[in-house]
Formats: sequence, structure tokens, C-alpha cells
Amino acid sequence: MLPYNFKYELRLLLRSRWIQLLSILLLVLFGFSTYNGKEKVEKRISDISNAKQEVKESDEAMLKLLDSVERGLEVSVSSWSIPTSPMAVGNNHPRVAAMEPQPMAFVSTGQADLFTHYIKPTVSGDDFALNFTEMTSPVQLLFGSFDLSFVIVYLLPLLIIAFTYNILSSEKEQGSLRLLASQPISIRKWVFQKLILRFFWLSILVTLSLLLVFFVVGIQPLEWVSVLGLVGLTLCYMLFWFALAFLVNLFVDSSAKNAVSLIMLWVLFVLLTPSVLNQLGNTLYPMPSRTLMINEMREQKVEATKRQDEILDNFLRDHPEYAINDSTQSRNFYHRYMASQKVVKEALEPIVNTYEAQLQRQQTWSKKLQWLSPAIVVHESMNQLAGTSTADYENYRGQVIAFAETWRSHLMTFLYNNTPFSQQEYSSLPQFEYSPTTNGTVGLSALVLLVISGVLLVFGFVAQGKSQKRGLLSN
Amino acid sequence: MIRKTFIKENKELWRDGRVRIAFAIVVLLLGVAIWISARQYQNINEQYQIAENTERAIWDNQGEKSPHSAAHYGTYAFKPKYPLSLVDQGVDKYVGTSIFLEAHKRNEAQFSAAADQTGLARFGDLTPDFILLFIIPLLIILLGYNSFTKEREMGTLTLLKSQGISPWKWALGKWAALFFPIFIVSLLLFLITGMVLSNLKDFGVFSWQSLFSLFLVYIGYYIIFINIVLFISLKAKKSGIALVLSLSIWILACLAAPKAASNIAEAKHPYPTRQEFAANVLKDKKNGLDGHNPWSKESKMLEQEVLAEHGVDSIHKLPFNFDAYRMQKGEEHEAEIYFKHYNYLKEQYSKQTNLYQSLAVVSPYLPTRFLSMAIAKTDYTAHWDFSDTAEDYRIATQKFLNDNFAQNSSYGEWSYQADADLWSKLPKFSYEPPELSAILSTNVSSLWILGAWITISFSLFLITSKTI
Amino acid sequence: MITTNKLTKKFGDFTAVDNLSLSVKEGEILCLLGANGAGKSTTINMLLGFIKQTSGTAEINGLDVARNPLKTKEFITYIPENLMLYPSLSAIENLDYFSGIAGKKLSPHELTAFLKESGLQEEAFQKRISTFSKGMRQKVGIALALAKDTKVLLLDEPTSGLDPKASNEFGELLQKLKNKGVAVLMATHDLFRAKEVASHIGIMKDGKLQQEFVAEDISLTALEKAYLDTMNYKEVLS
Repeated sequence: MLPYNFKYELRLLLRSRWIQLLSILLLVLFGFSTYNGKEKVEKRISDISNAKQEVKESDEAMLKLLDSVERGLEVSVSSWSIPTSPMAVGNNHPRVAAMEPQPMAFVSTGQADLFTHYIKPTVSGDDFALNFTEMTSPVQLLFGSFDLSFVIVYLLPLLIIAFTYNILSSEKEQGSLRLLASQPISIRKWVFQKLILRFFWLSILVTLSLLLVFFVVGIQPLEWVSVLGLVGLTLCYMLFWFALAFLVNLFVDSSAKNAVSLIMLWVLFVLLTPSVLNQLGNTLYPMPSRTLMINEMREQKVEATKRQDEILDNFLRDHPEYAINDSTQSRNFYHRYMASQKVVKEALEPIVNTYEAQLQRQQTWSKKLQWLSPAIVVHESMNQLAGTSTADYENYRGQVIAFAETWRSHLMTFLYNNTPFSQQEYSSLPQFEYSPTTNGTVGLSALVLLVISGVLLVFGFVAQGKSQKRGLLSN
Repeated sequence: MIRKTFIKENKELWRDGRVRIAFAIVVLLLGVAIWISARQYQNINEQYQIAENTERAIWDNQGEKSPHSAAHYGTYAFKPKYPLSLVDQGVDKYVGTSIFLEAHKRNEAQFSAAADQTGLARFGDLTPDFILLFIIPLLIILLGYNSFTKEREMGTLTLLKSQGISPWKWALGKWAALFFPIFIVSLLLFLITGMVLSNLKDFGVFSWQSLFSLFLVYIGYYIIFINIVLFISLKAKKSGIALVLSLSIWILACLAAPKAASNIAEAKHPYPTRQEFAANVLKDKKNGLDGHNPWSKESKMLEQEVLAEHGVDSIHKLPFNFDAYRMQKGEEHEAEIYFKHYNYLKEQYSKQTNLYQSLAVVSPYLPTRFLSMAIAKTDYTAHWDFSDTAEDYRIATQKFLNDNFAQNSSYGEWSYQADADLWSKLPKFSYEPPELSAILSTNVSSLWILGAWITISFSLFLITSKTI
Repeated sequence: MITTNKLTKKFGDFTAVDNLSLSVKEGEILCLLGANGAGKSTTINMLLGFIKQTSGTAEINGLDVARNPLKTKEFITYIPENLMLYPSLSAIENLDYFSGIAGKKLSPHELTAFLKESGLQEEAFQKRISTFSKGMRQKVGIALALAKDTKVLLLDEPTSGLDPKASNEFGELLQKLKNKGVAVLMATHDLFRAKEVASHIGIMKDGKLQQEFVAEDISLTALEKAYLDTMNYKEVLS
């Protein structure tokens, strides 16, 4: 039966113009979304390189100034911004801590529109006050982005539903089912073959149009392993929806009822489950109030300001390494300020950590329950592929804060030793290098989806549906 | 005729088990959504009250301190949550809730809820607006897609035609039959919300008038969907096709169009990045008066001006502390710079808004969404309004502090400390959101677009019904 | 070839087929006459396994239908009252598809030969079914029977809605199949056609076979009288 189904399914699909329609739709949707993704990535890259360029220019100016100062020339800038002061370097010439986009970043906006991709931590700034959110119109955040993952997670299932909802019921409605059922074939097998064939053709269309779009839009560099991951994940997700369509085709009867049932499933998996899980996550692991955190932070600061001198003494006693070569013992505003900053930071650390820990808990929880909806699984996996998931930005945040610490302590050594910053020191200034997260679970997600789809398909074969009990064609 | 069709259709709908289940699910979801939102709303408002009181206490109890230290120490403005956010959360999740008000700097609101949530949050929340905007239109489609096609398929259409029915009366009956259950569900929801809100004591000013306007907006939105769905049902040959077509419209209007609009808006009228914005402000600041820098060209100019004005030859002879005066002038200058740069953001946003409005031609979702957020005071404009008021307060605070500094100390007296009771003399920050009428008049174009959608879709439906 | 033994089907309280025992041998045509609801179609549906009987057995080629649902269908060709094929495929493609999934691989040459044998005009072979009349579609059905080398032909009201010429052609085709040794069971309202083609004629009422005749032994008028009598008799009783 398979060779005949194979031969005629293609003819039927071509003659009903399904293949043509799907190809156009897929090309338009993939094209538009990939183009959007690429634009975003390009803007991100150019923003970062502009920032780096700016730092480069200001560094050149700084070196020139240092050169003049070292040669004993008069300079025309205010005393506190002369870069011989380590604090002037640390505050006015910060490094760019940038999160460069991953090769597949165009696939999914993820959290990329919410968080910033480069930050310039200064020595005297508060780490917990570093604003990691990007300046975006919140309306854009609310509506989200028309990216490839939206097309795959939201729209592709709808195309599949339209493509498969009436495989069996249309035979019934147009009357050819009676003749078909009088042939020595199992109808389940027949429906299964039809569906698998449609899956096969849609897979080919999806793969080809994705590759074509990547080629035309000019995604570079194309990481073939990741592209393969993307295609594999997409196909597994598609198979899941085909498996659902298989069950609905077998167990529900009329075309309209099939369509309604499948749409209900779509609403359940794509819209309702994620929002219910999100709501539950927030209720189970509520974020402590940020406004109350502000209160706490302010009180700590007041406390620290009152005890500045005491704090400085304690600090120097605890951290002799900072002032190892200090002969002058001179103390100014920054000596006190930096020490009390450190104390405040340490005091606030547990509070700040509660947010991270709570977010972690939410994350772990949603990771566990994501299996309730394949849409979440696929969306998360795509964010992972694109390097735009919450975990990626958490990772980046951690690295930036670590870098801020490195930057600060590097320059604090100068401060407490009362040694001026000089040209020779320039090359040993710490630099930020973002290292992306590596423990991706895309393969696992695809595999689990495959297993779920397999189970659904087998269930379709094993379970005795109502229509089977009553006889296929009884009305 | 209209009445008979109406009764018959409603009976049919009600006898359909699936319709009853769908209804039950929607009502249940709405109930849960309202319950969750009400709880969150109460929670946030309590936190808001605590935070505001604590912050004010911290400010009041600074003790003896230099006014300028106090200015740097700053204070916070917290954004309140409004009662109707219970219905529509709008962009609340994506904007910060607290603004740090300090010397020399206008800060943006910090700590948006979305930044503190997992990626799941981006799928959306189970809030009433999600159900009102997405699920009820879907319910309309499920109830109405076969309203006319089923008559065709069962063959009753020919029979009805042979009875000499008036097509438009028949169509109106069907229309009313679909409208009625939707109207009842929405009415119930809004009544419950109203009752929940008027029973939450002490929080915000709840007005039935705003709630009623919100109700009207949603009813308008549903009328548009009813018109479209019935129009498709009239035109389509088969129920299946009608269903798929209606669903495509739903996807296009509610899912695809807003996202595409957001992409186009961003590409055409982008915001600067946070760092760029800061750099631009810094550049302008460097070119102008720096309140802390007595050696800059601008300071010297200011000095000459003031000396001339008071007819003295030295700043020591001025009746006030020139340092503080200069700081205030610098502050004013910086405020202007911020005003300019934030205005640029607003301009970009208003260009984006125009784009959203032009795309409302393909999506009735867009004007509804914007109107709903505006009335609920959870839209971006409401956020701007708050942040502008906070900025005004910041400027006033700086003036209050610098004036105290200038009048009570002499030039060069940086060690001056103000009395401990000064702080409580600073007026409290208070923010009144705009009135409903003001909101409606700023959103009048959205109202027009929604009205046009209703009129055009309804006439299209009526005209088509005549050709049946 | 076709045998039913005390075949009964109840839908709730309603008995559609009541203890029906009949048999059609190779090269025989049994026409079942009867009003709507007499149980003719239900009998055919049970022979196809579309409906499960309440009690009794139905056999095709000596095999129990309920136990061998797929195997028995290999011997059957079924032409429903309104035979529907894939409208966007041509006659030859439809024939290829249906015989193919039934397990007969045929060359284009053979397909054409079967269509010719079924009496379809040659210019229609490549045309899409959507343009076909009922008679033409039925010819494709007959071609399918020929292609499958069918042993049993089940027909449900095949001549209703056919014009007299088409109906006559269909009768001739049946004769051909009969001569090939096919066992034909045909449910019909058409007394005239039944008398023309049948070897046996049965009259059904209330799920029971009320009378059975050998077609040669009865004239058309006698058949009509017997039919009307059967219908009226019961009505008087009830």
C-alpha cells in the first residue's frame, strides 16, 4: 500500500495546491522572521563594536594625556579626571563587557530584547545596581518578536493542523471512504501512512525553505551542527503535532470537530500551559519585593556612611594586600568610599543572592515541568541554540559582576598603595571575554519529543477507539 | 423573524455539549485569572505602601547633613498599581517600578518584573486581559464559524429560502444569537471585577466609569470578531473552510500582526541602547555647565553674569553661597539635557505608535489593546506620565536643597550641614494619574479606528447577507 | 461464495436484520428487493465488516467476516450507491490507486485494458473524475472488480439515478461478471433491472427475507404483485 500512497499522495497534494501553498507560506514566514532576526543580530554587533571603538578612542586620548603628564607637561582637564588617578581610569575609562551574539542568535530573540548586551562596569558603581535591562519600548516587549522560533513554535503547528485535520474525515465527507474501507487494508495503517507521507513532504519543504532562506538572507557564518540541531528539533516538534493529528483523525469524526479539537490542543499546549506554569512558578517561588530590597540597601548605606573611618581601618587590616607598598599613608575620599562600598556590597550580598536563588528555583522548576508542553521545550531549546535564554543572560550577568570585581580590585591596588596609574600599566588592564554556556540540552529535548510522538503514534494503533467499536461507517 | 432565529440559535448552541464545555472552561479560566490578579494586586500594593513609608522615614531621619550630600543620597519614587490593572496588566511587567531620584542624574525606572522571571514569562500570563483579548475571540469563532455553513450543509437553507424569509432579518437574528452569550460572559466578568475592586479597601481610586468604558471597548472588539466570523460563514462553502479561514484571521490579528508591528517599529524607529543613551547625555553634559566645576568656561560666564546682576565685584560679596547657586544652575542645565534626550525617546515612541496605528488596518487587536491598556492606566503613556512627574519632583527637590544650601552658607563653605528637621519640610512625592476623559482624548485615534472597524465589518456582513 | 447464517443486527430495540440466512454461489446474482429500512444495506455493511453483527455469522469464500476482516475483503468489490472516487485524479489513476492498495500491481497497459472492458469511453481514461457522471464512476468501479479479479461483488442501489441506457449497460456488465463466476449481491428498488439480471430474487421486509424466487421462474408482473403483497401484508397486520 505504501508505494501507492506515496505516489498518489504527492499527486493529490500537488493538484490540491497544498504543496505550492505551503512552500509559499513557509518561505514568506521563514524569510520575514529570519530577516528580522538577522537585523537584530546585526544591530547588536554594531552596537558592541561602536562601544568598543569608543573605548579605543578614549583610551588613545587617555594614553596621550598620561604621556603628557609623565613628561611633566601642563594638561587642561580637571584634576580628578587625570588618568594617573586609578579611580579616574576605573570610572571614566571602563572596559566594554560585551556579550557577543552566538552564530544562531537570529533564530530566537528570547530574552535578548529585554537585556542589554554590553555594560561598562566602573570601579565606584554598585554591582547590584548595574542595570542589565535594555532600553526598549515596553510595548515591543509585550508584543514580542516575529522571530523564527515564533514561526516554528506557534505558527508551524497551525499549518500542520490545517494540513492534517481532515485526512480521514474528508474521505468520509466526500464519500470515498466506503470504497476505501472495502479494500483489504487497515484504515489505521492507511491514515498513518498518509500522515507520515504528509510529514515527510512537509519536512522536506521546511528543511529546504529554511536552508534557502538562510542562504538568501545571508546568515553568516552558518554553523552546520547548530543548523542541524535546529532542523532536527523542528522536525521532532512537527512529528509531535502529526502524532496528535493522527489520534484526532482516528478518534474524532467530522472535519470541523477535528479542527476544533486540534485547535483546542494548540491553545492548551502553546498558550495556556506556559502561562499557567509561569503563574504557578511565580506563586510557588515568589520574587521578594524589589522595592523592599531598595529600602534595605538604603539602610545599609546609611549605616556604612556613618562608620566610614572605622570601616576603612578594618578594611585595611583585613586586606593588607591592597596597601603592601604604600609609604605615604595618605587617605582621601576614595579610600573611604571604596572600602565602605565593599562593606555594603558584602552586607547586601545575601539579599541580592535571594533573587538569584529564587530565579534559579523558578528556572529549575520550569525546567522540570516544561515537559508538560512541547511548545515550551522547543522554545527553550531554540533560546539555548540562539544563546538568548534566561540562563545565558544569568551567566553573562555573573561574568560581568565577576569582571567588575576584577576591574575594581585591579585598580584598588593602585589606590591603596597610592601609586599613580601609568602608561606601562595600560596593557595589563583586565579585559572582559564572554564565554557562552555550553551545556545545551537541545539533543535531549529532540529525543524526548521523538519518544513522546512515538508513544502517541503507538497509542493510536493500540487503543480501541469508539469508531472501531461501533464499526467504522455506522452513523 | 429576528427573535425566532435568535431563540432557535441559542437553543441549538446550548444543546451542544461542546459549547457548554467551552463556555465552562472560559468562565473557569476567567475566574482563576481574576483571583490570581486580585491577589497579586493586593500584594504589590501592600509592598508599595511599606516601601513608600520606609523610604520617606529614611529620608526624614537623615540627621544633620550637607544638603548636597542628601541630594546625592537621593530618594525613591515608587510607582503605584492601579485598580484596573486587575483587568489589563498592559506593559506593567516590562517597566520598572521604582525611580531613584538623585542629584545631577535622571534615572530610569528600575526593576521590571519581567527581568526577574524565567523565559516562560514571555509566553504571557494567565491574566484577564489574555482571556479577554485572545480566548474570547477564539470562543466566538468556535461558536459562530458554522452559523451559516451548517444551514447550507444540512440543506435547511433551501427550505428557509423557499419560506420567503427576509435575509437580513435572518442574519440579524443569527448575529444577535452569537452576540448574546458573549455579551453575558463579558458583563459577568466586568461586574465581578467591579465588585472585587470596590471591596478592596484603601487601594487606589477605582471608578465604575473607567470599568464601563473598558467594557465597551471589549464589546466593540467582540462585535468586530462576530461580524468577521459571520461574514466568513456566509461566504464559505463548507464549515471546515469557514473555521480555518476564521482561525487564520485570528492568528493574523492577534498573534502575527502585533509581533510583526513590533519588529517593523523597532527597525524603523529604534531606541538607542542604554549605554548609547548614557554616552549621549554625557557628551551634552560635558559641553555645558558642570555644577561641580568652577573652572569651566560656562561657570566663569555664569559668575560674570551674577556679579553684574548684583552689582558686586566678588562672589564672596554675594548674599548667598555661589557654589550652591552654581550647582542649582548646573542642575537646571542637566535637567534640560535629560529633558531633551528623554523627549527623543518619546518622539521615537510616538513614531512607533503611528506605525502601530497604521497596522491596525489589518488587526482590530491593536487599537483594542492600546485602548484597554490606556484606560487601565497600564500603558506606556501612563508610565511616561509617572516618570515625568517623578522628574519634576526630582528637580523641585534639588532646588529645595540647593536653595537651602545657598541661603544658609557662604561661598566656599562646603562643610555646611543643614538641620535635622529640614528633610521633613520637603513636600512628599505625590502622583495623580490622568483622568479618564484625558486618557480617552489622547487615544481618540484608536477609538476612531475601532469605530471604523465596527462599522465597516458590520455593513459588510449585512450587505453580504442579502446575497444569500 | 456469500453465506449468511442467522445473521442478526439490532440497533437498540430496533432489529434491522433478523435471523437472515442466505447464500449466493459463484456465477449467481442475488437481487434483494425491499423498502428503505428493510435491512438490505445493513446486510451488505455486515458482509463488509463495516458493522458488527449482534449474532449469527457472515462468510465470504468460506471465511468468517468478523474474524478475518481484511482477508475477506480481498475477495470483495463493493460499489456503494453513490460511488465516490478522488475527484482530482483521473480514471486510470483512481483505478491504479485502489487496485494498488488492494495489493494488485498493474501495468498501465493492463489498467487501460480493464477500463476498456468496463465499457468506459477511451477518451475519459485520462480525465479527472470530478467531470464524471454516476454511470461513468460505476464503470470505474466495475473495472476495479475486474482488476482485483474479484470473487464477490456487493452492490448497493447501483442503478438508482441512472438513465435507462446507462442502466442497461450496467446490466450487461453484470452479466459479464456473472459469466466469469463472480457471486453478486445487489440491493435494489429496481424490479425491472432485478428481473433482467438476477438469477435469484429475494424480497426483504423488517430484516427478514420474506420470499425468494428463481428469476427465470417469475414474470415481471408476478414479481411486482408479490412485492406489493409482501409490503401490504405486513402493514395490514400491524
